[in-house]
Amino acid sequence: MGHYILVLLDENRLERIKGSDVENNIKAMFGGELKCIEVNVPEELSQKILKTFDTARIDARGAITDLPVAFMREFFNQIAEKKSIGPEVIEATLAKADQIKELAAKESEYLPPPDIQI
Amino acid sequence: MSSLLIERPLPHGGRLVERVVRDKEVAKKMIKGCPSYDIKPTLHYETGVPVRNVYREIMSICYGFFSPVEGSMTQAEVERILKERRLLNEWIFPFPLVFDISKEDYKKLGVTKGDRLVLNLKGKPFAILDIEEIWEIDNLEEFAHRVFGTPEDNPEVVKHKFDKKHPGWVIYRSHQPVVLAGKYTIINEPKFRPPFDRFWFPPRKCRAKFDELGWRTAIAHQTRNVPHVGHEFLMKNAAYTGDIEPCHGILVNAIIGVKRRGDYPDETIVEAQEAVSTAGYIKPERRLVSLCLWDMRYGNPLESLLHAIIRQNMGCTHHMFGRDHAAVGEYYDMWATQILWTKGIPSFGFDKAPTDVPYGVHIRPQNMREFAYCPVCKEMAYSETCGHKREGISGSLLRGMVAEGVQPPSVILRPEVYKVVVKWWKHFGYPFCNEKYVRDKERDLEVDLEDL
Ligand SMILES: [Zn+2]
Repeated sequence: MGHYILVLLDENRLERIKGSDVENNIKAMFGGELKCIEVNVPEELSQKILKTFDTARIDARGAITDLPVAFMREFFNQIAEKKSIGPEVIEATLAKADQIKELAAKESEYLPPPDIQI
Repeated sequence: MSSLLIERPLPHGGRLVERVVRDKEVAKKMIKGCPSYDIKPTLHYETGVPVRNVYREIMSICYGFFSPVEGSMTQAEVERILKERRLLNEWIFPFPLVFDISKEDYKKLGVTKGDRLVLNLKGKPFAILDIEEIWEIDNLEEFAHRVFGTPEDNPEVVKHKFDKKHPGWVIYRSHQPVVLAGKYTIINEPKFRPPFDRFWFPPRKCRAKFDELGWRTAIAHQTRNVPHVGHEFLMKNAAYTGDIEPCHGILVNAIIGVKRRGDYPDETIVEAQEAVSTAGYIKPERRLVSLCLWDMRYGNPLESLLHAIIRQNMGCTHHMFGRDHAAVGEYYDMWATQILWTKGIPSFGFDKAPTDVPYGVHIRPQNMREFAYCPVCKEMAYSETCGHKREGISGSLLRGMVAEGVQPPSVILRPEVYKVVVKWWKHFGYPFCNEKYVRDKERDLEVDLEDL
């Protein structure tokens, strides 16, 4: 069974992939209120992810979860930039592993708040 | 009037305990020449991290949340609680509550039975303890086990032996061995810092607020969380219980105390709960958000009994209980609270439900299951009603979304609630309790004190 990473999409993220082929992969939950993409991860890469990020695990449905927030942010950035959900976005994210790990270490104390009007 | 109308119950024990001296001159005279002691946080017996502050118990006792308890318990009273979950005056009560100090501090203090001890908080006189008895807990590990029960002694509900992964067990294991027993009296009222101040409804004030709102019946909702839409539906629908009409009000009571990393900050919790009302999802005339100071023991059925006592004292007629109520891990059966309120747990001293035993409680339990989104019904549906496959709102899904900065859709989390999460996220630099928050909170506590 292949593994996958669930990428959540809010308005802001949907805007960034608008008009690209990535849109065809959008799935809906909660009556269409929550949009997400399941990105398939080839076995070799999923092993690499698990080895690189020690918090990561594979849940009962085969999803790779508990990845650092910094990973998930960069992962989406790569999807938006490359307009793709192919293995190259995973590879590009993994290429920034050192930078992500550095951010992840700080993540247990600080997370940048979203820029919304309160 | 219909004989079916449910009246607001009396406080547990018959009358509200209120041990607060408000006249500073009187207070000064009361403490003149008395020895004093600076309240210390209870530190984890292994790691040294703060796990409890007894000031929260003193507050909850003196303002009547724990009526009829009036102070730190004697050895005989603690023994009776551990055996039958009853106070010496017969009224049922789940947990030992004691003022514990180290042997070294006891030696230094040199107090004896009959002495009045002034308890300082944050360097200011806060309360007095009139010592009636001094006793020692000789085996803290055994004490902690007896508080929560064991698979051997309480086979009805205890599935696994408690250990240091259970935060409530750690609290009792980390107690100091010398107990100064006696009544507490607050002699210098602490002032809650915002935003906690506007959620402070101690029982007498809470009952007066119910009168003002015209509530005869009110259902209590226990919380330690930011409310998602599943919680909102639970509250709304549980409130249809009542007598000949739905409950007039919903009392949300947040337990505020020591935090664990990964919890939402207490500031976020109370304001997020408030936002559900101010934004009109459940209008403010029908819902009141309040707090009670207590370092959660996560005692599932025992904790549910404490919750019932607190909320009966606050004036509620009903109390919602869900699966895994106030639970952590799998120490208790996940339905232990429902077992207690349905038929009792004999090994804890209840051969019937706590509402049916002598000197029991008078609040009515409302055992609820879960609400989740049903894509077929196209609404939040009740697990025991809807026959379709539903999409549950899990805490981890929600936390993952929040951490990633993805705004959850309003069918999961109301936008007004999310704004509160972000407001405090900006304030603390983190959406959940990080190490700094946990540390600072136990240093600063929820209150400030003036000079006496
Ligand atoms: Zn349905």
